[in-house]
Amino acid sequence: TVTLCGTTVSVLYFARSAELAGLRCETLSVPREITSLQLWEEIVKVHPRLAVIRDQVIFAVRQEYVHLGDQLLVLQPGDEVAIIPPISGG
Amino acid sequence: MEESEDVPKDFVKLKCEKLSVDEVSELVVSPYCGAVSLFIGTTRNNFEGKKVIHLEYEAYTSMAETEIKKICRNVRQKWPSVKHIAVHHRLGVVPITEASVIIAVSSPHRTESLEAVMYCINTLKASVPIWKKEIYEDEYSWKENKECFWANSEN
Repeated sequence: TVTLCGTTVSVLYFARSAELAGLRCETLSVPREITSLQLWEEIVKVHPRLAVIRDQVIFAVRQEYVHLGDQLLVLQPGDEVAIIPPISGG
Repeated sequence: MEESEDVPKDFVKLKCEKLSVDEVSELVVSPYCGAVSLFIGTTRNNFEGKKVIHLEYEAYTSMAETEIKKICRNVRQKWPSVKHIAVHHRLGVVPITEASVIIAVSSPHRTESLEAVMYCINTLKASVPIWKKEIYEDEYSWKENKECFWANSEN
């Protein structure tokens, strides 16, 4: 596949998603404009084991929560994208 | 005698060392306040009949600090008389009965600090990117707060 107008983001994995992906962070090349659901699908292509938690996770893009769905993201080089499984602080 | 202005402050810390109730309450004490309210979250030794050996916490640290500071801002909007707020959360291994989180709030009168402390812990459980792993004898489990604002929702 050829990625047109792509950018490189930092993907961060936490808790169960880090166990399933087998790592805590990596850089990923993705289209600059992409829906949050498409971004999830790009990540699952690299780490298919993440598919099992699709219904439980949310993203944090530039430290703002984004649901997996139609929301259009405009990504800048070096943006942090975090996979956020259900939280349990406190 | 010159009193300092005692500007309202937020004290937010995520750390791996044992938390101290004395330290956190002293952060919020103020000569203008008649009340300091405290919440301490401690680790239980059992879950659904299983023995919990210890807890392990991890965090998206930079975002967790930002989210806790947002909670502090919301507290000040809802309870303008609140003076100081301190939230300390432990990361890494937390042995049974030790504190995972300590929240302290000071205010001139008790109602505001009591309500603000409850709001802080409830909102922290709903929105701050911190995760708890319960370690049992033969297995472990990533916990999920029922307050988590996106879990169990339709995607």
